[in-house]
Amino acid sequence: MKKTLAITAFLLGTALAGPANNSLVIGTSQEPPNIYDPWNTNNLAITSEINGYMGAALIGLDDNGDPYADIATRVPSLSNGDYKVVKNAAGDVVRNSVTYTIRKEAKWSDGTPIKIADFQFWLKLVNDDRVPVPDRTPWDRAKITTTDADTFTITYDPPYLFADQTSPGFAPQHVMGAAWNAFDAKTKNEKDAKVTNEEWKKFISSFTTSRNLPKVVAGPFKPTAWRSGNSLTMTRNTNYWNKPKGGEDKYVQTVVYRFIPNTNTLKVNILSGQLDALSAVGPTFDQGVDLQRNERGKFKTYFVPGAVWEHIDVNTRGQKAKDLDMDDPRMRQALLLSIDRDALTKALFQGKQAVSNSFVNPISKLYKKDVRDYNANVAQAKALFTQLGWTAGSDGILQKGGKKLSLNFGTTAGNSTRERVQQILQAQWKAVGVQVNIQNYPSSVFFGPDFLSKGADGKWDLAMYAWTGNPIFEEGNLFKGSGVPTAANGYSGQNNSGWVNAEYDRLHKQAQTEFNLTDRIKLFDRMQTIWNTEVPALPLYYRVNVYTKVPGLVNYTFSAYTLYPSWNASSIGWASRGAVEEYKQK
Amino acid sequence: MATYALRRLIQMIPLLLVISLLVYSLTALQPGSPVDQLTFGNSNITPEDIARLKAAYGLDQPWYTRYFFWLGHAIRGDFGYSQDYSIPAAQFVFQQRMPNTLLLTVPALILSTLIAVPLGIFSAVRQYSIPDYVLTFFSFVVFSAPVFWVGAMALYFVAVYLPTATGGALSLPPGGLGSPDLPLDAGFWATTLDKLHYLILPLSILMLREIAVTLRFMRASMLEVMNQDFIRTARAKGLPSRIVLFKHALRNAVVPIITLLGLSIPGLFGGAVITERVFSWPGMGNAIIDALISKDFNVVMVSLMLLALLTVVFQLITDLVYAVVDPRIRYS
Repeated sequence: MKKTLAITAFLLGTALAGPANNSLVIGTSQEPPNIYDPWNTNNLAITSEINGYMGAALIGLDDNGDPYADIATRVPSLSNGDYKVVKNAAGDVVRNSVTYTIRKEAKWSDGTPIKIADFQFWLKLVNDDRVPVPDRTPWDRAKITTTDADTFTITYDPPYLFADQTSPGFAPQHVMGAAWNAFDAKTKNEKDAKVTNEEWKKFISSFTTSRNLPKVVAGPFKPTAWRSGNSLTMTRNTNYWNKPKGGEDKYVQTVVYRFIPNTNTLKVNILSGQLDALSAVGPTFDQGVDLQRNERGKFKTYFVPGAVWEHIDVNTRGQKAKDLDMDDPRMRQALLLSIDRDALTKALFQGKQAVSNSFVNPISKLYKKDVRDYNANVAQAKALFTQLGWTAGSDGILQKGGKKLSLNFGTTAGNSTRERVQQILQAQWKAVGVQVNIQNYPSSVFFGPDFLSKGADGKWDLAMYAWTGNPIFEEGNLFKGSGVPTAANGYSGQNNSGWVNAEYDRLHKQAQTEFNLTDRIKLFDRMQTIWNTEVPALPLYYRVNVYTKVPGLVNYTFSAYTLYPSWNASSIGWASRGAVEEYKQK
Repeated sequence: MATYALRRLIQMIPLLLVISLLVYSLTALQPGSPVDQLTFGNSNITPEDIARLKAAYGLDQPWYTRYFFWLGHAIRGDFGYSQDYSIPAAQFVFQQRMPNTLLLTVPALILSTLIAVPLGIFSAVRQYSIPDYVLTFFSFVVFSAPVFWVGAMALYFVAVYLPTATGGALSLPPGGLGSPDLPLDAGFWATTLDKLHYLILPLSILMLREIAVTLRFMRASMLEVMNQDFIRTARAKGLPSRIVLFKHALRNAVVPIITLLGLSIPGLFGGAVITERVFSWPGMGNAIIDALISKDFNVVMVSLMLLALLTVVFQLITDLVYAVVDPRIRYS
């Protein structure tokens, strides 16, 4: 009878979403290639978000960036002795280690206890050359030693700077072990990496795809149906150890992801009440503003400060850069002083995306608040241009030695927000005599092997794009001298500006082995001062993530630390069903 | 005719090989690769990681080496794995996307033809009448209006405006293919009815455009035939209008429509990209576009080679059908 009623309701077009059946329907613009791949061989944001519902970890970070123990019994720290740093006679840290004890009640969704062998299995595979993980940092230097059935120590040698902030993954050896052994036997003598990779795909896809859903999971929800191209349904895993306040029956029992690639259609779904919430991978900023105008009490729109930093790289390499003084910090300062970023963010983003002055995320402990803010100052900019010998020509454009200050400004074509930013900046630079020619390219060209990394060939002068500024794992790598993409390093670095500063590099190297946070903050203070003085990139703003949720949905929150609302999946619920609100969206 | 058909079939083999080479090379020579997507923005990536990933994806080889690797496997029926969906590319195309596309495009073609052909004939026969003006105006408007705009407006109307205006009594789902929380064991009829419910809107929008196109073709073709000498002769010898229209005019006017329909059939399998996009319909059109963007080579190759094969096969069938409907055409 219940089933008949449910089916009748579908056919009448009434979605059984929300508090009525204690479920949650989330809309997103992307579908993951696979889910719950313990080795994360695809690194899409939507995969990470969805995995958050099904995954567990030894320790996690909450919205405030504070660590909490999930399936470990406690958070390792220097004070409780679970985190150890070993120094040599010279006082240099030579290795560090973290000890974890797995909770007795930590189980896979089939009821099998989570054991140390699951961590060892994961670590063995992540370091196996046949497993196509993007990178192996820091696991390529990690070793697990067991103390007893539930306690183990992971040692990083050489030491890993963020050892106490992260924890190793784990995979269900009792489920995947036999298939791995078969893969191992089949490919151990295979010379062709492509053939091995095809075998890997066969192995991993038998546990992670719409046709072969994960057999077991460790987190609060388990997948029950994946209709490819349409939706993914997850139901509560009663074997997950952490029960939310008041009992799990008071919290969401089913989570449904609806895959709607067209963000305008996604918007219509919100307006029509078909969705309870949006994923962190959803509408654009403009659509968020539009949604906010149409809330009418049915849902609320949130703009969450994120970890994505928009900036303009200034190409300091090549003959043209030299001719135009782009390799001189005064020229870059003048370019930055010529533009009014406050006015820009007010005009385009209603001030919701804060102007940035550093490459470090403002919520990071390493962020230096009092760096120069480079408020628009046309007089100062003009003075700097004059100091460098640039004078206005008859057409108003600055020139020096017969050369005009004419710059090619590129970004990803089709990104309307960036294109509008370009228009405003072009006009502001024109006002001080800098001619800016907009030349945009499709993402595949812009981020491809022949553009950003080839600044030395003069392929661009100004390039606007974004990096992720992780507030925890900040190493200052973006602007290290060894990160300048060259033929020697296979064009693998990220320092596309080509800026090299000996003092910055020395401090960066020092910071990489400075395990004392207070001392590392001091090093980063100086690094940011240097960077802010030299401005190899023109900092613009930190992006916000837009999402919506209907009133009464609690604990569906995220921050630049947690990145996705699934970090707290176990506690997501409806107030009307008795769910207790622990976290409010900031 | 059998010899002709056999000769054409044999000619298809080199043609398809050339097409496969062109498609593969054009896809492979596009800037960017799946490895870029895995490594961009990751400061821990080393040159060794890039080399390892390129080798795993076969990108350390020149495109022609990869093409022959692909061809060797494809001939044996192994089209490789989809990088984006982590399942065999052929399974993804034939089991997960093509049925959805056919569910949308086949009814759209059949229904629109059934509606547009009579309307086209009617419009031609009543040329310059008010109904003719109305139909011509309708087809011009529908033909000119961008599908993404019409689709978006329709979506907003039925999913947001209509439920608000009728207090929720009338509404259609705003895109997608089936209720996500329909029980997996709901049964064939419940599942089919549920899908039909989601199908109404995209099907209607797709049909509108196809009706407009076919109507215009049919009208133009009929008008051309109706002005021919043999129709005047038929009328002059006193044949009833019905006979002139259906026996003499229609049989000749329908030849271009057969061409249109014959060439539309491969398109049915290729999906309606914009309609699928706007209505989040998980069909072939969406799949091909996504695969091209993300360089999912195996899906691109399976999809486009299938379309190429269907195009040449239906081209041949269309040519053969000409001979059936038009006695003047003979293949030797």
